[in-house]
Parts: sequence; structure tokens; C-alpha cells
Amino acid sequence: MTDYKALEKQIQDQARQWLESGEVKYVIGFEKGDNSPVCRPVFIYKPEDAGKLAWGPLCNNNLTKYLVEEVQIKPKKGEEPDLRPVGIVVKPCDSKTIVELMKENIVPRERVKIIGVISEGTINPKALDKALKDVPLDKIAGIQILDGGDNFTIKYDGEPLSVPKDELLNGKCKVCVVHNPVVYDIFVGDKVTQIDKDEFEDIADLEAMSDEERYEYWKEQLSKCIRCYACRDTCPLCYCEECVFDRTKPYNWNEKTVDLPENFFYHMVRAMHLAGRCVDCGGCERVCPMDIPIRKLNRFLLKRAKERFKVVPGINVEDKAMFGDYDIDDPGEGIK
Amino acid sequence: MEDEGGAKESWEPKIIGFFCNWCSYAGADLAGTSRIQYPTTIRIIKVMCSGRVNPQFVLKAFQEGADGVLVSGCHPGDCHYIEGNYHARRKLTLMEDLLEFTGVDPSRFQMSWVSASEGQKFAEVVTEFTERIKKLGPQTKLSGGEG
Ligand code: SF4
Ligand code: SF4
Ligand code: FES
Repeated sequence: MTDYKALEKQIQDQARQWLESGEVKYVIGFEKGDNSPVCRPVFIYKPEDAGKLAWGPLCNNNLTKYLVEEVQIKPKKGEEPDLRPVGIVVKPCDSKTIVELMKENIVPRERVKIIGVISEGTINPKALDKALKDVPLDKIAGIQILDGGDNFTIKYDGEPLSVPKDELLNGKCKVCVVHNPVVYDIFVGDKVTQIDKDEFEDIADLEAMSDEERYEYWKEQLSKCIRCYACRDTCPLCYCEECVFDRTKPYNWNEKTVDLPENFFYHMVRAMHLAGRCVDCGGCERVCPMDIPIRKLNRFLLKRAKERFKVVPGINVEDKAMFGDYDIDDPGEGIK
Repeated sequence: MEDEGGAKESWEPKIIGFFCNWCSYAGADLAGTSRIQYPTTIRIIKVMCSGRVNPQFVLKAFQEGADGVLVSGCHPGDCHYIEGNYHARRKLTLMEDLLEFTGVDPSRFQMSWVSASEGQKFAEVVTEFTERIKKLGPQTKLSGGEG
């Protein structure tokens, strides 16, 4: 059971200390939303603002996207770049992203100071909306959520609600097997003991289908895609300065038209670009306005990469990038 | 279009081949100069190495209406760039998995190792693949077309 308030205090204290000593340029973290219990990203520059930093199961964003932007900024001509590290608050899945970013030489270790927070699961805001349907609208922003073990207790000035965790948790949290940050300068919280589970149970039903059924499934899902590219834009591992989907010369790979073949192409190429790298932070699925289960594509490749090449992204900085490496004995059953 | 429309039985699959310059393309060339018969269904695109084949090329070929895609390179250990074909094997095996997961028949994709002296093997691979694609019929899932 997580005591969010205690973790929040530790985060604030650490951020304040770093800002006071000037060790970090600023701290990227979460703050309470104005009219919503859902937290939003915040950038803290002054020690006296550290008290704004919030922590709870509604800190959904993977803030490492901002880290990539920080290291990719080119200093203006004649300007001395400020290369001090930035502080960042991360959940375990976000910390896995940092491992990948270090592995790919995008974020140097010395450019970041990490406040790594344990997580026993975050809440899906859409599921929360449903659970709060009987709570008066003006009370929603002020609710307090406590971890009650198998359930979340939602307090407001009415009868507290108790909602089973299964109803509220994000899909990625239900299958997550890494509840402790893997890379950090400061570890916040008590180490969570991981229970053994089938981490790919969520795609088992799709895998059991016939090709035809699977195609129909994806046809239905992908035809909803409006190609807003939010899934790409939010992904911290989609950091190319020029994306293949934006390029039109010398060859236009992907027409801007939204039709099924173009959508299939977009999603298959995107999935391939993230194969062996995606850490399942859930960012893409979280921002999709059309509720497309994008993670399933990533997770299927995650599973196959593990089975075929023993590649598990986001765990060890020393590991080689999957497609930058090979094994003479890699499987290739179908090759003639 | 009459000549295309009226012709279920005369339908010929379109197969795109990505062949490496040093082994497989030379193998295909040998088949030609040795007058070995092979189906005319294949359109070969020469690449310097099978490692050059980005999964994106294959998916694009399907999207543009290919009924099958064949990628061919030097045998393991024989790549002129030492390890290009090992990289190709990793990338393309996983892409084949993705074809399976999206329900696009993965047997429309084939990889092979064909050396410069294997004109005969080239012809066999293409013949066999063509037969398989003929049975499957036109590919419409990624192209959106009617075939
Ligand atoms: S966020 Fe959703 S709708 Fe937008 S491009 Fe991605 S999958 Fe398509
Ligand atoms: S593909 Fe989605 S789940 Fe994977 S790292 Fe990117 S945003 Fe996170
Ligand atoms: S040169 Fe033939 S596979 Fe690399």
C-alpha cells in the first residue's frame, strides 16, 4: 500500500534541496490540475516553488519526453549552453525510458538527476470518470485518493467511495512487472516486491485468433485512426528530428490521406521503429483521442523480441540495441 | 478494365524481390544467362546488401499492391559486408511476426539465401513462391485494392 502523501513530501524535499544548491537547472514533475484531480506536468525553477510538486496515482505522463527536448535544444550562437542536469520525477516505467535513452546515447547520464518513485499502479482518468459518476461535479477536483490495498478509497466531503483497483488501473499497470525504478539518484518509497505473473496475458486473446479474425480486429481499430500523430509526438522514444511520416521528399512514404492502407502502414512502421525499444509506458495509448489499443502492437513485438532474441528493453544500459546487434544463431525458421 | 477484370484464371501475381548485389542478384543473373526457366511474376529491385532492406520497403511494396515480397541475400557468413544478412534476418523475422499479428498472411513474405552460383536455386525459390501466392490470390489487406 502506497502512502502518496509521504512520497510527495520526499519528492518536494529533494527537489527543494537540488534547486537550493543549484545542482539542477530545474525540476520536471507533476502538479495538481486546476479543475481536475488529474495531475499535469510542471517545471519548477525556484526552491520556494518545490511545494507545488504533487504525487499520486493520477501522475500519468511520462515526463522523459521533456528530457529529450532539453538535451536536443541547440544553444544560440555565441551563447554558453547551461549543461547542468535537470531534475526529473519518474515512475518505474518512465525510468525504463531513461535507460533506453541512455542506451541510445540520447540522454547522457550526467544531464539528468532522477527522483525515482515506486509505483503500484496508476489510474486511468477515463475509468475514474466512470467511477465518479455520482459525485457532484464541483466536488471532483477536490477528491483525495488513498491506496487501500485491493481498492482505491476516494474521499470527498460525502460518503467515501471504495473502488476495486482492477476497475481503475491503467491497462499497462495491470500487466507491469517492474514496480521499482531501475535507474535513479534518489529512490523514493519502500521497495515493492514483485509478484510473478504472466506479463503478456493481455494479448493472449488476440494471439489465439485466426489471421482473418485478427485482421478484422485491426481493420476495425485502425480505421478509427485520424492520424493526428499524438501517439508519435508523446512517445519519448520517438525522438528523430525529422520523422519519416513528415518527410515528403525525396519520397513520400506515407500519404497524409486517412485511409485504411495508409493507417496500416503508419502503425506497422511505427511499431517496427519501436520494436525492442518500447518500454510500455503507455503514453501513446493514453493520448489517443480515438481509443485505439496501440500498445497491443508494441507489446506483441515486445513479446516476440523477448522470445526470439532475449531482448528486454529498459532494464540494462549495457545491453545492446536490438537492431544494432545480432546473434549468429538467431532464429530464421522460414528462410529458404 | 477488361483485360484485368475478365481474367480470374489468367491473374498473375506481382512479386517484388529485393536482392543483394553481390550474391542473390548475381544468382538471378546466372539463371538468366543459363536460360533456366523461372516465372515472370518477379520484379527484382537490386540493393547493395540484404541488410539495406528496411522493413518499411516491404510494407510499402504491399501497400502499393504487391501480392508477395521476396528478400534474398548471401548465405549466412557470406555477406560482403560481413553481417548485413544477420541484421536483415533479425529485422525481417520480426516484421514477419508483425504481419502475422495484424492478420496479414505472413506467408506472402519470404526470405532466402541465394549465392551467385545458385541460379538453379533462385529459379526454384521463385517458382515455389509464385505457386504459393497464386493459391493465396490477390493481396488486398494492405493495398486496399481489389487485386
Ligand atoms: S493518437 Fe490515435 S488517432 Fe492519433 S495518430 Fe495515434 S493512433 Fe491515430
Ligand atoms: S510506444 Fe507508447 S508505450 Fe512504448 S515507449 Fe512510446 S509512448 Fe511509451
Ligand atoms: S551483400 Fe549479400 S547479403 Fe549482404
